[in-house]
Amino acid sequence: MNIDLNLHLMLPELIVLAAALAAIVTELLLPAGRRALPVAWTCFAGLAVAFVMLLVGDYDGRAMRVPGDAAEGAPLITGWISDGFSVFCRQVIAFGGMLLVLLSMPYTRRMDKGHGEFYGLLLFALFGVMLSSGVSDLLSFFVCLELVTISAFIMAAFKRNDLRSAEAGLKYLVIGAASTALLLLGIGFIYGATGTLSFDLITQQLGDIEALGPKAWLLWIGLALLLSGLLFKIGGVPFQVWMPDVYQGAPSPVTAFLSTASKGVGLILFIRIGTALLAPAEAAAGGVSLVAVLGTVAVVTLLFGTLAAIPQKNIKRLLAYSSIGHAGYLLMGITALVKASEAGQVDAASALLFYLLAYVVTNATAFAVIVLVSGSLGTHEHPAYSGLAQRSPFVALAMCLALLSLAGVPPMSGFFGKFLILRAAVNEGMVFIAFVGAVGVVISLYFYLLWIKEMYFKAPREGAEAVKAGSLKPVPVSVPALVVLVIGIIGMLGMGIAMGPFYDWAAQAAESLAAAP
Amino acid sequence: MNPLLIIILVPAIATLALFFVPRGNNAAVRGICLLATTIVLITAVLAFIQFPNAPVDDAVGIANKGLESEHVFKWTTKTEWVPDLGLSFFLGVDGMGMAMVLLTAIIIFAGVIVSFGITERVKEYYVCLMALVTGVFGVFTSLDLFFYYFFYELAVIPMFLLIGIWGSTTRTVDQGYATMKLVLLLSTGAVIALVGLIAVYLYAPGAGFDMVKLEEVAFDTSFQMVWFPAIFLGFASLIPLWPLHSWSPAGHAAAPAAVSMLHAGVLMKLGAFGVIRVALTYFPDAAQVYLPWVGLLCCMNIIYGALVAIAQRDLKLIIGYSSSSHMGYVLLGLASMTLIGMQGAVFLMFAHGIMTALAFSLIGWFYDQTHTRMLDDLGGLMKVMPFAGVGFIIAAMASAGLPGFANFVSELLVIIGAWHSNANASLWWYIPPILAVWGLVLTGVYLLRAVKDLWYGEISPRWEKLQDVKTPLQKTPYVVLIATLMLFGFWPKPMLDVLDGSVSSLHYRIENGIEQSVETGALVRDVETPGSGAEGGAGLDSDENAGAEGGADR
Repeated sequence: MNIDLNLHLMLPELIVLAAALAAIVTELLLPAGRRALPVAWTCFAGLAVAFVMLLVGDYDGRAMRVPGDAAEGAPLITGWISDGFSVFCRQVIAFGGMLLVLLSMPYTRRMDKGHGEFYGLLLFALFGVMLSSGVSDLLSFFVCLELVTISAFIMAAFKRNDLRSAEAGLKYLVIGAASTALLLLGIGFIYGATGTLSFDLITQQLGDIEALGPKAWLLWIGLALLLSGLLFKIGGVPFQVWMPDVYQGAPSPVTAFLSTASKGVGLILFIRIGTALLAPAEAAAGGVSLVAVLGTVAVVTLLFGTLAAIPQKNIKRLLAYSSIGHAGYLLMGITALVKASEAGQVDAASALLFYLLAYVVTNATAFAVIVLVSGSLGTHEHPAYSGLAQRSPFVALAMCLALLSLAGVPPMSGFFGKFLILRAAVNEGMVFIAFVGAVGVVISLYFYLLWIKEMYFKAPREGAEAVKAGSLKPVPVSVPALVVLVIGIIGMLGMGIAMGPFYDWAAQAAESLAAAP
Repeated sequence: MNPLLIIILVPAIATLALFFVPRGNNAAVRGICLLATTIVLITAVLAFIQFPNAPVDDAVGIANKGLESEHVFKWTTKTEWVPDLGLSFFLGVDGMGMAMVLLTAIIIFAGVIVSFGITERVKEYYVCLMALVTGVFGVFTSLDLFFYYFFYELAVIPMFLLIGIWGSTTRTVDQGYATMKLVLLLSTGAVIALVGLIAVYLYAPGAGFDMVKLEEVAFDTSFQMVWFPAIFLGFASLIPLWPLHSWSPAGHAAAPAAVSMLHAGVLMKLGAFGVIRVALTYFPDAAQVYLPWVGLLCCMNIIYGALVAIAQRDLKLIIGYSSSSHMGYVLLGLASMTLIGMQGAVFLMFAHGIMTALAFSLIGWFYDQTHTRMLDDLGGLMKVMPFAGVGFIIAAMASAGLPGFANFVSELLVIIGAWHSNANASLWWYIPPILAVWGLVLTGVYLLRAVKDLWYGEISPRWEKLQDVKTPLQKTPYVVLIATLMLFGFWPKPMLDVLDGSVSSLHYRIENGIEQSVETGALVRDVETPGSGAEGGAGLDSDENAGAEGGADR
């Protein structure tokens, strides 16, 4: 058998992997107490190199291609695609990873051990996310997803002595395992129906659905189960139940990871699967309705996330529900993607990619503030943020802009993302869903404004419950965190005002997706 | 340099500059803002004067055969922003936009000076104020549908902070509640309109977001009927149309003086502007069907608003409800579908803005000292502050429609227009203009009562130390506002000339329906984006000066 092993296409990922291993080794080599910074900077350097390589290098091609077709027994792994879409996603994830490492630094500085594990796991997970952008068969799909998920299980429970963190890890594990089981079952059904795991070959068979006969039902059930696995990742109803507890219990940098990279892997795979499998399946079924299912899930997810966020008094819990709300918008875009013809598909995919980019930068900023503020006061409740604008105007400004961007208010990047998603939805005639999305903006504006109110309208509180001394002093801001805040503010405003280049970038990536063989 | 660019960029630059002023240097903050708004005001006044005769080489417009004047946008400037989406940064004003820009420039100039009384968190205050006004100018000058919405939403968040931080809770209104209600209702209207705007944009892929080219698109009647309500209600909730008005008086009552001025003077006009610019212009056939119903609703605005105002004892709530009552006249003028009524409506947007800003600024003047606005607590203030008293009485007289003020001219036009709209319909349609006249009587009732209770009668000893408006700087905003009201009251022609092109083309569209308008209309001149080559520019050269001439004919 003849395999094209174009490993150079994967070089950036291999470097990230190497950095992860180097981080673990570095910790072993250095004396306790001096480990925090070298380990973190090793990881940062690895991600930075990968990011720069992806920016300047030419990565068009297909690695690990295994020739073969259905006739002679299709191979299980059909190769790894490195097209414009994949490169875009890897760039975003590598960049987001850099921000994650930076914003973790104030947190890990306070730990006395486990730096290597923490950053190592983070990079393993990022490695998985980056790999997921190029999958072309269900087996590598599963492997990438699990790489991310299993790393995240451990990270969520990283504060072993903290009851909440342990609870978070356990909940995540149990629900995650269940969804993995469903996913695997789905892949099994699809394999049983079609005899292959390759997206291309499954699509071929979808084109001639009659030939499958009654086995077609296996295929539909398989696809439905596949969706459930992805919904778990991005936090779609009814697989969202783990999110609030896990977001709240996990260490803040891990929550940041969950809400950016881990959500990203769900979205990336959703777009891949959406164009490669779901859209052809929708066409083959003649309107029996993945779109109806996805659309309903989108509406319910959006309303659930935004409404349930209203009474939250804990910022991490709030962002968990807000993250569910955002999953609703992503699902709106995915519904449009599945429904669309080719041109519309590019529109919807570029909307989703822009959204991903905007969302990663925005969330990184918000969590950088949370790490700083809650780190110095030891609480995530309202009082920690009271009067923040008077204690630390810059930190408050960053948080305010991040919340407005999450809400989708111009001139922030989140607004343009939501605009593109609404446009894609209206373009596909999903007017009702678009109106729900529009109303969702207002509902979410309400609970984000409650926090802005807390930061800007109130005076700093002294002696408030759960707030230790120091609630009147400025929040200490370390240099890495400052970098994240500055990049975040520039990024959010830049993508919101001069959105042209960023949109073109995303649109190019989306086009390569449509042009894929 | 393009005056519109100056008008948008100066406040935007001022906003950024304020971030770099060291904390506590309030004089510098105020100086920067005063300078910026003065530049903007001078530019706006000069542009307004030049408007009818401005050179047309950077103008773009729609000429309708059978109509003397054309709908011309002057001082246009266009920069491609996201070409793939047909999105460009495209500025330009027609007559209506010009009037609104002038209105905003006057009010923000007055507002900055009135806000000198703010002593707490001064820098943040002015940052928000400048950001707000940037958004407002952006809405009035954008010819790109995307940026139009962009600026519209941009104005909302500063509003939230301004009212929430510097506003006040009184016996009548809880500040937090009013702030949140205002922002949420404004945003709800906005996002509902946004979905409609996206639908408009997707209907005509060739036009992109270009609002001038969209005027050339013949929207299908059924499309119009479906989307008119969404866009109309989205914007009308900001006017505010009864029964969507409840955010507005509460918002006024909680806001600091300058914000009330901008809110009633300008923000409500954003709603009416949006209705005219988008809903009526693009969907004239649907407008023909729906506007009579709007005519009925706005009677509720006028009468209900006035009756509620009569029941209030909080001065700001009186003016607040009075505003929603008077915006009913704007809607009535539009709903009349007559040229004269529409002209009156747009003119009233201007006049009402100035009048209400004057009233709120004077309420702010004594509220800063008394910390109460309840009529029962006050009285006899004329003895200690005659200047403010006279100013307030002028505002009240203008509002009640006394001849000599711009409000009289415009309200008269509206009522005449509404009366004529009945010419060939049933007797039922005489009801709105009759109610509108009675609305003016009710205005007299609550305003005269307010004047009596506030300025005359016994003065309580605790008010005897109050300060009047003294220094020339303090007097400037009031003098500017009063002068504007009286200038256009005695000499409305310049304003009507400026408005002519945009209003008569709107009237033409509604009267003749979209098919005929698009058929007979021609894009006079296409704006070239730098580097986009020589395509377009298919101008009817002979029509180039038609806008200027049509304007001068009146």
